[in-house]
Amino acid sequence: MSQVRRRWLLYLLPLPLVPLCLLAGPAAGLSAGKVLAWGLGLLVPHAPDPTLDEPLLRTILWEVRLPRVALTFLVGGALACGGNGLQALFRNPLVCPYILGLSSGAAFGAALAMTTLWLPVQLSAFFFGMVAVGFSYFLARAQHTVSVVSLILSGVVVGGIFTALLTIVQFLTDPFKLQTIVHWTMGNLHNATWEQLRAAAPGILVGVMWLFLWRWRMNVLALGDEETRAVGLNPTRERVLVLIPATLAASAAIAVAGVIGLVGLVVPHMVRMMIGPDNRHTLPASFTFGGAFLLLVDTLSRSLTAFEIPIGVFTTLLGGPFFMYLLKKARVGWEA
Amino acid sequence: MGGLSAIQVEGLSFEYDGHRVLQGLVLDLPQECFTVLLGRNGSGKSTLLKILAGQLDYRQGSVAILGQELRALPLHQRARLVGYLPQHHRPVFPFSVLDVVLTGRASHVRLLPSRADEGKAVRALERVGILHLQHRPFTELSGGEQQLVRIARLLAQESQLLLLDEPASHLDFVNQARLLALVRELVAEGLSALAVLHDPNNAFLYGDHFVLLQDGHIAPLEPGQQPWDQEVMEQLYATPVQTLPFAGRALVVPQLHVPIHRAPPDLRP
Repeated sequence: MSQVRRRWLLYLLPLPLVPLCLLAGPAAGLSAGKVLAWGLGLLVPHAPDPTLDEPLLRTILWEVRLPRVALTFLVGGALACGGNGLQALFRNPLVCPYILGLSSGAAFGAALAMTTLWLPVQLSAFFFGMVAVGFSYFLARAQHTVSVVSLILSGVVVGGIFTALLTIVQFLTDPFKLQTIVHWTMGNLHNATWEQLRAAAPGILVGVMWLFLWRWRMNVLALGDEETRAVGLNPTRERVLVLIPATLAASAAIAVAGVIGLVGLVVPHMVRMMIGPDNRHTLPASFTFGGAFLLLVDTLSRSLTAFEIPIGVFTTLLGGPFFMYLLKKARVGWEA
Repeated sequence: MGGLSAIQVEGLSFEYDGHRVLQGLVLDLPQECFTVLLGRNGSGKSTLLKILAGQLDYRQGSVAILGQELRALPLHQRARLVGYLPQHHRPVFPFSVLDVVLTGRASHVRLLPSRADEGKAVRALERVGILHLQHRPFTELSGGEQQLVRIARLLAQESQLLLLDEPASHLDFVNQARLLALVRELVAEGLSALAVLHDPNNAFLYGDHFVLLQDGHIAPLEPGQQPWDQEVMEQLYATPVQTLPFAGRALVVPQLHVPIHRAPPDLRP
């Protein structure tokens, strides 16, 4: 029993980072110490601090930082869980929403919906995310098998196509909207609002919960199609039942936050290095560590420099070398 | 259950891309026997095994496993009747041995395996004699150990009929013997097994029954003939062979036109 408790403790380990991140951020005359003092003051009766502009502080925390921190955490968790799910269903430790072209597909779908208003943004992102993964998969499939590398290659091609389509959408958009779209494509959380959180949370939560329920089946699926069928599960059906929630979570995140590359690759790997490959444990850990990872990166990206580096740029710069390292490691085979 | 056949096949035909692999096959295998399928490459052995395992759908003919028509059963019910050991592929993720064996419980599990399932996985490992490997990563085991883990997974599944596709290939001499002896023991404990084997000697050393498959149908034996007879083997493998009597049966050696007893090369300077 204590082993179970230890596991849950590990899953929850990154959570204290959330309130800590509320303290950080640029705001004139508002130091972390002051926020902390105010926060503690809410809990114990105290004499009001005359130097503190309480309404301003409340606004900054409640309208700016809290939605941003919550959204960042959810987006990170969704991308990492999505990555974990995709890696399990494709039996390929090198894939993630970004590498499979899912991110570009979802971004294109979201941008299309934003400019044309034909479809709800979330729905369109999900739809084109699915289309992109589907294309990558069928492009890579040869003689009933999909090799690790061909899936990555076809993901690159499909991602490229959707990025090109996204550019066309950008060209056709009026300049006012264009800036928003360009900014958003690079992966951006800095104008997070409660409204965005409300838009993204249902898709992310449904996707993640579903993956959480399916986490042991991913173990079965990871051993091979024939093996899965031999123990009584239909591999095609199970794959689709993992693909849908993984795409749902990732595309919901991308629809609000833009393309934030390689979080879904890096985090599940870090988690596996810590606790092994059993998806029953990596999935919950991917969620909390994914959220914490993105929160950390986001906090760095807005604190390190005077201007704010788009978070997608940051994660790709971190994830790129990591991907190369995985490629070079002999463990990941070039064969089927 | 006692009177039922483990496998009863009638009029089974199967084609792959318009090419006929099995033709009007009739087969009746008793329970609690270790039956071996022998035949040349491409004779339809693996196809037959895959159909019996529910990996391939058949349209013509009927296949009954322990009295139940295979086609009519949903996958998870098939899995409780038939366990299948496919030819070996190396998984990508380094799952622990226990986690690999636990996946054998899938047909009994809704979403997460219970403590009881875990207990069954542990007992299966015990039965195969590799409990000490339970926390090791599957991918880091030797070929022989991996094959034992896969057998344990099959036992955790608790099906009554084991179908084994070339279980001994990729194993060294000793591990082949160990594995097949284990299958024999399991059969003695009440399971039924059907295996495709490449090596007729392994078959004759460990099997109870032999099914000889030739061009998609079963090669008939004449009265008084045994599968290990020289002319039967020569016909089956279309190659001259020599047989050596052994333990009431015989060992088989192909006679190719290569001299085996060469003089050793003279290495002295």
